[in-house]
Amino acid sequence: MALDLANLHGIYWKENGQTALAGMPLAILRKLDRLFVRWADECGAAEYRFPVFIEARELHKLDYFSSFPHLATFPVTLDSSPEHLKEFSREAGIDDAGVVRLGKCSPVREVLTPAACYHFYVLFQGASLESSLYLTTVATCFRREAYYRPLERQWNFTMREIVCIGTAEEVKEFLASHRARLERFFSKIDLPIAWQNATDPFFDPSRNPKFIAQKLDPVKTEIVFGGELAIGSINFHRNFFGETFGIRREGEAAFSGCVAFGVERWLFALLSRFGPDNLRVLESLW
Amino acid sequence: MKNESEIRQHLREWIAHKSGSLSPNEIADDTPIIERRIIKSLQIPDLILFVEEHTGRAIDVEQLKPGVFRNIDTIYRNFFKPVRTDGS
Repeated sequence: MALDLANLHGIYWKENGQTALAGMPLAILRKLDRLFVRWADECGAAEYRFPVFIEARELHKLDYFSSFPHLATFPVTLDSSPEHLKEFSREAGIDDAGVVRLGKCSPVREVLTPAACYHFYVLFQGASLESSLYLTTVATCFRREAYYRPLERQWNFTMREIVCIGTAEEVKEFLASHRARLERFFSKIDLPIAWQNATDPFFDPSRNPKFIAQKLDPVKTEIVFGGELAIGSINFHRNFFGETFGIRREGEAAFSGCVAFGVERWLFALLSRFGPDNLRVLESLW
Repeated sequence: MKNESEIRQHLREWIAHKSGSLSPNEIADDTPIIERRIIKSLQIPDLILFVEEHTGRAIDVEQLKPGVFRNIDTIYRNFFKPVRTDGS
């Protein structure tokens, strides 16, 4: 069934890749997130809430800017000198294309969060874990894209993640149990999805050894709705974050993995599959 | 031409050397070298080059399938094992 978002009350699309929500779509979005939190609770995950910015120097440790320069969005402030502020306030203007004439800007040291779970590896940097960690957070994530579509591909979107940091075996068991849970859920509500090996959206992938590594040893499995829309993913990071941020478990660099949910995309998939009216009935099943 | 056990040992020694922390006898034929990040992603092009140099055949990276560089065993079977041409 084709979804007519333009005539659906409570979804307000902005051409710059953002959506405002109200009414029924907002209620479902919230209910979905509560469902994900319940799943996180079942593995004893501790919930965290992080700031919107993440330090550029931390992302640099991940080679983020060489791997994903096309996705990055930076918070920018004006140069704070009184002369510049005076000049800006006097001449502040926007051209016909809506571009602000910023003039001189302050140095940029932050990035708008591109993935919710990064905050955890920064937070637990240098830690030696006596037991595996189970964590969850939700974040508004920012990724500049070549094009945008309401709910499906947005400049900013909501990402809920459930994360495990531990030994390889602990992380694999965590990921397997979440996959089994998700399979049961999709079967229960009759949402047709496919599990597909995927790679991260690297810049210039054929020249990036990390892309080749992900092709050779797939670590990302996407939950794909309608043949092309990844509404979530299960990711095994090996010990990449543990090694990069000095997180130790049982004397070695810790392994990690995450289950990620693109909440607006879940909303899109459910609305497409069931329609707004049936969805009200369906949500009683969650 | 090296025999199978010599090739496997040569691979083991190269991987151990690149790991910077393991000795060859700590790497079994089924030790997952990429999954355990014994070989880091940045070293994979070197591994591909190493295999190309020792087989004398170029590897088309675009055509690589998951699992072919998983461990010494899969590397040997996918790139070094002689292809039988007698139809059997």
